Amino acid sequence: MNRINQKLKEDKKLLSIYFTAGYPNINDTVSIIQDLEKNGVDMIEIGLPFSDPLADGPTIQASSTQALKNGMTTEVLFNQLKDIRKSVSIPLIIMGYFNPMFQYGVEAFCKKCQELGIDGLIIPDLPVDVYHEHYQEIFEKYGLINVFLITPQTSDERIRYIDSISNGFIYMVSSASTTGAQSGFGNVQTDYFKRIAQMDLKNPQIIGFGISNNETFTQATKYAKGAIIGSAFVKHVTKHGAKSVDAFVKHILD
Amino acid sequence: MKLKVCGMKYQDNIKQVASLQPDYLGFIFYKNSARNFDTESIPELPKSIKKTGVFVDADIDVVIDKIKRHGLKAVQLHGKESPNYCKELQSKNIEIFKVFSIKDEFDFSVLKPYEGIVDYFLFDTKGKQPGGNGYTFDWSVLNNYPSTTPFFLSGGIGLNQIEDIKKFQQSEASKYCYALDINSKFEIEPGLKNIEDLKKFKQIPAFAGMTEIMNYNVNEKGYYGEFGGAFIPEMLYPNVEELRQNYLKVMTEPDFKNEFDQLLKDYVGRPSPLYFAKRLSEKYNTKIYLKREDLNHTGAHKINNTIGQILMAKRLAKTRIIAETGAGQHGVATATVCALMGLECIVYMGEIDIARQAPNVARMKMLGAKVVPALSGSRTLKDATNEAIRDWINNPVNTHYIIGSAIGPHPYPDMVTRFQAVISEEIKWQLKEQENRENPDYIVACIGGGSNAAGTYYHYLHELDVSIIAVEAAGLGVDSGESAATSVLGKEGIIHGCKTLLMQTNDGQITEPYSISAGLDYPGVGPMHAHLCKTKRAEFLSITDDEAMKAGLELCKLEGIIPAIESSHALAIFEQKTFKPDDVIVVSLSGRGDKDLENYIDYFKI
Repeated sequence: MNRINQKLKEDKKLLSIYFTAGYPNINDTVSIIQDLEKNGVDMIEIGLPFSDPLADGPTIQASSTQALKNGMTTEVLFNQLKDIRKSVSIPLIIMGYFNPMFQYGVEAFCKKCQELGIDGLIIPDLPVDVYHEHYQEIFEKYGLINVFLITPQTSDERIRYIDSISNGFIYMVSSASTTGAQSGFGNVQTDYFKRIAQMDLKNPQIIGFGISNNETFTQATKYAKGAIIGSAFVKHVTKHGAKSVDAFVKHILD
Repeated sequence: MKLKVCGMKYQDNIKQVASLQPDYLGFIFYKNSARNFDTESIPELPKSIKKTGVFVDADIDVVIDKIKRHGLKAVQLHGKESPNYCKELQSKNIEIFKVFSIKDEFDFSVLKPYEGIVDYFLFDTKGKQPGGNGYTFDWSVLNNYPSTTPFFLSGGIGLNQIEDIKKFQQSEASKYCYALDINSKFEIEPGLKNIEDLKKFKQIPAFAGMTEIMNYNVNEKGYYGEFGGAFIPEMLYPNVEELRQNYLKVMTEPDFKNEFDQLLKDYVGRPSPLYFAKRLSEKYNTKIYLKREDLNHTGAHKINNTIGQILMAKRLAKTRIIAETGAGQHGVATATVCALMGLECIVYMGEIDIARQAPNVARMKMLGAKVVPALSGSRTLKDATNEAIRDWINNPVNTHYIIGSAIGPHPYPDMVTRFQAVISEEIKWQLKEQENRENPDYIVACIGGGSNAAGTYYHYLHELDVSIIAVEAAGLGVDSGESAATSVLGKEGIIHGCKTLLMQTNDGQITEPYSISAGLDYPGVGPMHAHLCKTKRAEFLSITDDEAMKAGLELCKLEGIIPAIESSHALAIFEQKTFKPDDVIVVSLSGRGDKDLENYIDYFKI
């Protein structure tokens, strides 16, 4: 069974962390992954940087720009992850934009992910219908789970469709926004969290966007299986460096 | 080559033949013919098929009556009809074919009086009857064809001639051969066509490109061939989907059309003139017309699209408008229509562009828009576009994003193209007035994202007698590393929500283009243009900064028009490519050069 599905079966709320590969320094990728696991994180999204990350706010865009300057490429990332499964056992997901994968070759990319022990992909600008029509077979051939996003504006009908195509979890974007921390969730968000929880979907949901501390993590996981933190973590390593992972995770889980 | 099937008679048979999509179907209105069409009406045919009436010295009123009654798009004159007779039919908005019969030799001087009056000549075999004799003439006679008027080749063509047709196509004689006309060799009995034989004939290479009629328009899924689509994050899906479901419906509402047309007329100042550039034409020894988009309100074609989109936004009950801009032209055009409609306007513009385009920034502010600097990435157009898209993600309900070029996720490229299509719509009737033909030999436009080009080409995309030229900015030279020639330097990929050709690293990171012209300084090209490039429907040329600047200055001196540097790229092709003296070339003069004065001053040390 895919590590993501196994993890989702565990009787606990999941903490998932996103970070930009090759940031703050090109060789921080592996140590950040190892430290996240060591400190109790359940799942990791490894951000493959892109020059034009449309769905991201300023924090992740800046980290992506820096990572590219540091020399990060698809090939470099794959090399860094060569032995990752010797030391890390939690689910690993690569999150990136479609063009770099398209240039690498979608099938070659998926094949490489399988070789390295990557469990899933999140590609915000690969729409569900294009995936369904052209790429689902390839992803499944290499045992990869593709994770789709839903937002407060996504219609119930479309959520059902996305649920039917998904075979891991659904990434619930907390509000109409790009990535980047905001201050807490209001009634609008909690109503939306409740609405989705009541839909009784086949796939569990993990909430992302706007989760930055213990309070927002607790609020989000009240209604969902877990939560994803991205920008807040990237900000943290920007300020405190790649060796400060423990302090951040502690501050979320305490 | 086009195909005409002549001598249609029976209703069901007509429908069957029509399903094979020939370009012309011929109906003979001549009592002495075994194929005389004496039925009340012609069944409904696909619009792409031109109904052609065939006459032999008929009274002109009879011809006019048949044109009206059957909605004929062409008449074929088989008798001794005079040039004056043909002239009288010119006003009927039909194509006119004059038939000449050839035996072993032919005195081509008889064509002369008909030149410029008829649209096509049709050559068939001289025999006992006026047409339909069932055998071919010696096509090599046409090696001496002295005219450039395209002609139909007719007379006894059947499946046995397939090899001869191949040879003919490789000979000089076929240069002006526009179509093949077939009839009796494909019949079971006079007037009843053999569908199986017709199918076989349509497979021959002469009709390649016609059997699968190439579509240059967007398909129902938002693709031009393999390009286009909507590669957008889920956060944008509801906005884009709302637009996709409504744009065609709204655009075809009579109220919308009226308001759009009215504003284009009264506010923008359309139609923009189609100007015969006499001195420029003399210099390059050809016939150059300029489509004067520079004379529009705000100084460029951009306003055509912003007027359309602001009306769209209002129909969709949006109250807040966002836009991206490079040089500021689209930003000004957007700020203008927002002022006109009293809507809030936010324009994203790269920090670097804000610094180098101060007058346009001031204009936008005077018009009441808020100009927000894009501080990320390279801080130019590409990043301004990213910021506008992010704004839209954050404001999904009340905001409409007015994209300025023929790019972005479907339906944007198609919607922008349709709003800009007024350019080619006007060229058609304007050229008809001035040159007595709707179609030029060449249509030329510069391409950044490609909105003025899309509008200039739109009504000519499927008129294969019109050559399309797309002019890209080569910057300091295509191989200099400082260029924006996407068709040469780009690869297939995804940018700003669509699959198209774009400049990128091997790793799929989008790179920064360069051109002296801010409007052409974009790393991608609209998906329609990527398709035109890939299918070779359009010829792509690249023009350097230097060539463009010189062409711009030349237009000032020869015609008293200061063009935008973008448009100067299109004008520079005359130094690169030679045209024939009687070629008619329409160049889109997309914008005026006021905004570029400083550039011109710096460049020429004026």
